[in-house]
Amino acid sequence: MHEYAFFLGCIAPNRYPGCEASAIKTSEKVGIKLLPLKGGSCCPAPGAFGSIDLNIWYAMAARNVCLAEEMGKDIALICNGCYKSIYEVNEILKNNDELRDGANEVLAEIDMEFKGSIDVWHLIELYYDSEICGVEKIRNSITRPLTGVKIAPHYGCHLLKPAKERHFGNAENPMWFEELIDALGAESVQYKNKMQCCGAGGGVRGYDLSQALDITNEKLINVQEVGADVLTEFCPFCQLQYDRGQVEIKETFGKEYNLPVLHYNELLGLAQGMSPDELALDLHAVDCKPFLDMIL
Amino acid sequence: MSFEKNYGNPELEEKLRDRSFYTTDSNPEFLKEVEKISRTDAHMCFQCGSCTGGCPSAPRSSYRIRLFMRKVVLGLEEEALTDPDLWLCTTCYTCTDRCPRNLAPTDVIMALRNLAARRDIIPKNFLKTVQAIYKTGHGVPNNDANRAARVKLGLTPEPETTAGHPEFIPGIQKIIDHYGLKDRADRILAEGE
Repeated sequence: MHEYAFFLGCIAPNRYPGCEASAIKTSEKVGIKLLPLKGGSCCPAPGAFGSIDLNIWYAMAARNVCLAEEMGKDIALICNGCYKSIYEVNEILKNNDELRDGANEVLAEIDMEFKGSIDVWHLIELYYDSEICGVEKIRNSITRPLTGVKIAPHYGCHLLKPAKERHFGNAENPMWFEELIDALGAESVQYKNKMQCCGAGGGVRGYDLSQALDITNEKLINVQEVGADVLTEFCPFCQLQYDRGQVEIKETFGKEYNLPVLHYNELLGLAQGMSPDELALDLHAVDCKPFLDMIL
Repeated sequence: MSFEKNYGNPELEEKLRDRSFYTTDSNPEFLKEVEKISRTDAHMCFQCGSCTGGCPSAPRSSYRIRLFMRKVVLGLEEEALTDPDLWLCTTCYTCTDRCPRNLAPTDVIMALRNLAARRDIIPKNFLKTVQAIYKTGHGVPNNDANRAARVKLGLTPEPETTAGHPEFIPGIQKIIDHYGLKDRADRILAEGE
């Protein structure tokens, strides 16, 4: 078993707990053990906190990293926004003495110190990494293939961009997420402008909702055009934007999509035999039933 | 969506309409400051526009990342920091990936926001997130419906975060107080009411 400190963030545990539950259960079936990371906070939100003062963002994210350092475990997480904060701050502070000293000066006030002793991973990259898990292992863990379901991938932004500071290389048209989707027995589909942002990030969702929704709406038009049954992602904030966003788009623009939006962990859970009740799919704003009827 | 730039501030609107460059408006230190915070060599920008071309916010607003890059290089501090479009960047980093000069326009935006914040120019929703994190450790706190759902899933009603371990919250408050940010958030939000 590969063991990781499981950094939860906010939206997964507090809005879509099925993302948290499915991460724990699905990872165990492929040799990954997610251990509770006690006392973790908001990553903190890179848009809100980073925009106000990058130094506070460094210090707050470093505190979360320190908790895992104390456990002696690498961090695994399930949200692109958290990845931006936790991964990026970990790397910045490891490599920039001035910024690390600044963060440690503040952390000393609460008897903590950033040492730079661990690494940070998104669970989806551990799933794809053949040394940890790999696509084959995911495929072999499936007991209920999602046969006949067309699934549109949404990569989001912060796991892949800026590409020069990330693990996946060029972010113009990646295809690795499609491999993970196809491993579920489903059919991944391509759509126009696949790599466009969901619209929520950078604080825009809170600052100008209709602006954020207009970006989301464009994505949904493109996804609908290719006849996708489901949109999947690996970021609960993107999930919130697409899922609750569809309700808001209906109110704002009068357009209706009824497109179920599921985190990859939730899809993997279903494909490994978890029931919709074990995933709290009833908390999703868009009814998942049309999709569930295809596979149950 | 911002269909038209209308900030209810005639002076700013007049200024934004005027595309002429006056050296008296320029603060030469501004570029240096932005470069230090953003850790990118903004002065290398040659205004090709790849950034605006790939920007998801650009087609639906007057936000032009290329324009902000130019204002930084020209030292137009006042214009850059007071333009409400500054807050329309979703930080998707597409411009950063595509910049042929290998710059990070996204991080320039973040630096500009940091500098605007020093003048107390910060959108309300950002400050409310600060207040929520100060109180609970979470930007998006737990609620009763979610607690009930968690229990059904076999999870603890409160996650293993600061929600389940509130003894960690004073440490978070100390970090935020070190920068005086909670008091500032309270003050700015109170002034805005």
